[in-house]
Amino acid sequence: MRAHHALRPLHAEWTKLRTLPSTWWLLAALVALTLAVGAAAIAPVAADVCPGGTCDEDTVKLSLTGVWMGQAACLILGVLTMGAEYGTGTIRTTLAATPTRWRVLASKATVLALLTAAGGALAVLASILLADALLPDYAPALRPTLGSVLCLTLVALLGLALATMLRDTSGAITLGLGILYVVPLLVTLIPSPTWQHRLERWAPMPAALSIQSTRHLADLPIAPWPGLGVLAAYAAGLLLLAGVLFRTRDA
Amino acid sequence: MSDATIEVRGLRKRFGRTLAVDGLSFTVEPGTVTGFVGPNGAGKSTTLRALLGLDAPDEGQALIAGRPYHALRTPLLEVGALLDAAALHPARRGRDHLRWLAHSHGLPVRRVDDVLAQVGLESAARRRAGGYSLGMRQRLGIAAALLGDPPILLLDEPVNGLDPEGIQWIRRLLRRLAAEGRAILVSSHLMSELEDTADHLVVIGRGRLIADTSVSELLHAASGDRVRLRTEARTQAMELLAREGGRVAVTDRDTLIVTGLPASRVVELLTEARVPFAEVGAHRATLEEAYMELTRDKAEFTSATETADEVTR
Amino acid sequence: MTTSTNTEPETTPTPYRSHLHPTHAGFPRLLHAEWTKFRTVRAWLLVLVAAAVATVLITQLSASGSVTSGGPDAIHGPDGTTVTDSFRFTHRPLTGDGSVTARVTGLKTADDRSVEPWAKAGLIVKSSLRQGSSYAAVLATPGHGVRMQWNFTHDTAGSDSAVTTAPRWLRLTRTGDRLTGYESADGANWSKIEDVSLSGLPKTVQVGLVLATPGHQDVHRSFGGSSQSSGGGRATATYDHLTLRGTSTTTPWTSTDVGAPTPNAPAPHNARPDSTTTVTDGTYTLTGQGDIAPDQGGPDIVQMSFQGVFVGILFMIALGALFVTGEYKRGLIRTTFTATPARLKVLAAKTTVIGAVTFVAGLAAVAVGYTLAQSTLRGNGFGPPAFPDYPLLENPALRAVLGSAALLSLVAVLALAVGVVLRNSAGAIATVVMLVILPQILSFAFPLPAARWLLRVTPAAAFAVQQGVKKYDFTSHNCLPEGGCYPLSPGNGLTVLAAYTAAALLLAAWTVRRRDA
Repeated sequence: MRAHHALRPLHAEWTKLRTLPSTWWLLAALVALTLAVGAAAIAPVAADVCPGGTCDEDTVKLSLTGVWMGQAACLILGVLTMGAEYGTGTIRTTLAATPTRWRVLASKATVLALLTAAGGALAVLASILLADALLPDYAPALRPTLGSVLCLTLVALLGLALATMLRDTSGAITLGLGILYVVPLLVTLIPSPTWQHRLERWAPMPAALSIQSTRHLADLPIAPWPGLGVLAAYAAGLLLLAGVLFRTRDA
Repeated sequence: MSDATIEVRGLRKRFGRTLAVDGLSFTVEPGTVTGFVGPNGAGKSTTLRALLGLDAPDEGQALIAGRPYHALRTPLLEVGALLDAAALHPARRGRDHLRWLAHSHGLPVRRVDDVLAQVGLESAARRRAGGYSLGMRQRLGIAAALLGDPPILLLDEPVNGLDPEGIQWIRRLLRRLAAEGRAILVSSHLMSELEDTADHLVVIGRGRLIADTSVSELLHAASGDRVRLRTEARTQAMELLAREGGRVAVTDRDTLIVTGLPASRVVELLTEARVPFAEVGAHRATLEEAYMELTRDKAEFTSATETADEVTR
Repeated sequence: MTTSTNTEPETTPTPYRSHLHPTHAGFPRLLHAEWTKFRTVRAWLLVLVAAAVATVLITQLSASGSVTSGGPDAIHGPDGTTVTDSFRFTHRPLTGDGSVTARVTGLKTADDRSVEPWAKAGLIVKSSLRQGSSYAAVLATPGHGVRMQWNFTHDTAGSDSAVTTAPRWLRLTRTGDRLTGYESADGANWSKIEDVSLSGLPKTVQVGLVLATPGHQDVHRSFGGSSQSSGGGRATATYDHLTLRGTSTTTPWTSTDVGAPTPNAPAPHNARPDSTTTVTDGTYTLTGQGDIAPDQGGPDIVQMSFQGVFVGILFMIALGALFVTGEYKRGLIRTTFTATPARLKVLAAKTTVIGAVTFVAGLAAVAVGYTLAQSTLRGNGFGPPAFPDYPLLENPALRAVLGSAALLSLVAVLALAVGVVLRNSAGAIATVVMLVILPQILSFAFPLPAARWLLRVTPAAAFAVQQGVKKYDFTSHNCLPEGGCYPLSPGNGLTVLAAYTAAALLLAAWTVRRRDA
């Protein structure tokens, strides 16, 4: 009976997320975009760049390039999980039904994580299967595969945290896209080595995607697992902060 | 320029599988407040949106002063409209909302202050619209409709969210505006809201016209010559009144409803024939009852949920 | 019991007429209305200010972290362009008018690498042996046919005959300041390649055979950077039928290595092997390396002063999208279209207002950012002569500043147009970020040909407008996305973005007219 009681908000959040049409569109976009970009990335390699199967390219990493695009869908999904409630005022109904606020946030995070992990796994596995079919000497590995799925899940949680903190969909999405895309762009294009060095280690992206590397690991600015750890720390830290704000603020 | 009339002719509009408006025709004359009544989902808002050029009709015409809306050069000076009072940017001040509308027609800012005074919103005008109560939003929406001092007004559920005092205020306002010779169309899903306000009624259900009648005619028809009669001598009374041209229905062991004969004539006949009776009452309907009476005949109209079935067939 | 007091009006009342003068709802009034809408939402003004501040701040941070110790002294061509000018030269002075003719019989690699497509063997007239002095040359190449090139930044293609497969006759004629290049397959039938005028050419110039080959480049790319190693690339060319007509003071041909062959090569790995010239029975064999071309490899301090735009753009996207999706979200768009039924005019007014507002704010931000960043870079060692001054009001800085402001403005309008189509802020913002920013990130990860293609066909091409150093396509420079190199010229790059914006506006116009509001 008690277990049933504890699972009730989880069930409620699952129903809410499941019944938003945008959820399924975004999950479809996650799989389609990840696969499409992955295919575009490996197509030239498969065609001509490495004849005779002696590729210098990190083909595993290359085949998972689509995660760069797919993470936007995850971010938006995470933002809308909370942002949609603030946008429509449903949040008051939610909090009336489950007054313990941390339980609301934890339930949302759990449902979101499970859903994006499932969608992410589908997207990543599809990319790998495609690469396996197209590339001659393709050797998929567990770490990049698992890491990419975790990365997508963490990005969704990051979106949830940002939306809870800002209580505004557009603001959360803009900030989130800035973290996911603008920071990595600056990391590469910024002419200052000092800032490049700092950003490579302390910004969630592209540090997290070092998890996809299978070659020249010693040359990476940050090792694969610690890299993913940076993103995990951001997601967890912001979610915690969001939880504190969510508890103390008026709905 | 044609007269300040609103004219809907054979309007038909379909959204996907739902036929929202189905061959609707009516006219609103200057100097009257016309109530536009129907349950939620009857097609009222769709008709108003078609009149305002927001939805393109599939068939038929929705004309303002004889012209389609998009042909109006200065629409705010010809039609004032209140569609959705919540359609405000929450960060914009009430006064600024009216200012951009005024700018779009080159109206002086003085006019903004005039209408704010007219709706009694001067004190809140410099506050952000996000903090307005529903009643304040309605007043701001009405102010926006009045901005161009138009001869035609289209108001969608203007009474929504107003307190009793506000309802009285809007009734007086609408009567006064109509008395000035304006044509006013006020939609509502509650007939009682239009009591004391409307001169004329356009009743629709499932997108079709059910009645286009003046309020007095409707009330007269509804109250008509229904007489309730209580008598111990039921059979005797029924025979007598039927012979004299009345239609008699039995509702109770000792109660009859007589139609087709005025109460005075019923009393006269019963007295002459020495039929004992306990009570004769003339029945006077409220607008709400008149509406129920009107819609009872339309079997398909009793529930809005039936609409979907009907359409799929 | 309610007693209705309503009665039908007894007489038909006089229809009401508005007491206000009907003023024509002209376009300037619409602009005024949309501007009032924009100005009265404080959050939007704050976003605009935040965009400007972030642009300046990030630009400044990026510039303050960039330090150079100066590097070797750069060589500048006659028009001030930084150039590479080193080659094997077998020459004689020529005074006054004259002409030099020779047949290039072969050009091949002199080490274990394949011959570079941009290796050059041919004839040159150069004002002196000093690096960077003016010149004109007719050159046979293995991969790009016969070329006439002059003063480093000018190039005209001749026939596309490859010197590795067939010998080629070349001739260069001087008449006053005019130099004319010819080529021929047989030494009898000559065709003119180009006729150029080199102003200020001295009376006595150096004339002769030239051999140059750029170093071989290997690129290893991975996200977050790439390493390029260049080296080797020695070549050998053979010539015969060398004749010089005109007044020459010394009879024998002398040979010189103009400049150091590889000025930046670290010793000892790329130590310069000896260049040689041998003459046997009228056949001249030159071995050497180097290049005569604009130097495209150094830091571009103009481009380095616009890093903040990448952040500013994000705010502009949000602003452009919210300016219209906010109206759809709340149904305010119906009020707008009720006041102005001409929907295309509303779209035009919104576009004008958001375009102008973002252009002005963007212009102020990039101008201030550029000025501050330039002064910071000067303090960090990026000074003349290696890094000349680029004043704000002169090209290329002016073009980059105006272009960046236009870029910010076009992106905001693109977001507005996508917002009209999608009627949803989340979708509009994400779509535009993915169109403008994501292609660049993917270009770092994609193999080079795909990466360059991506930067040509997506709106990201517009960032080319920030490049201060002109990119020449007749050099062997590797245009790497992670090096901030965009394959299109500044103007064409911005045009790609403008085309996307125009297409999105057309789509928006079509949907806004067709759809019910």
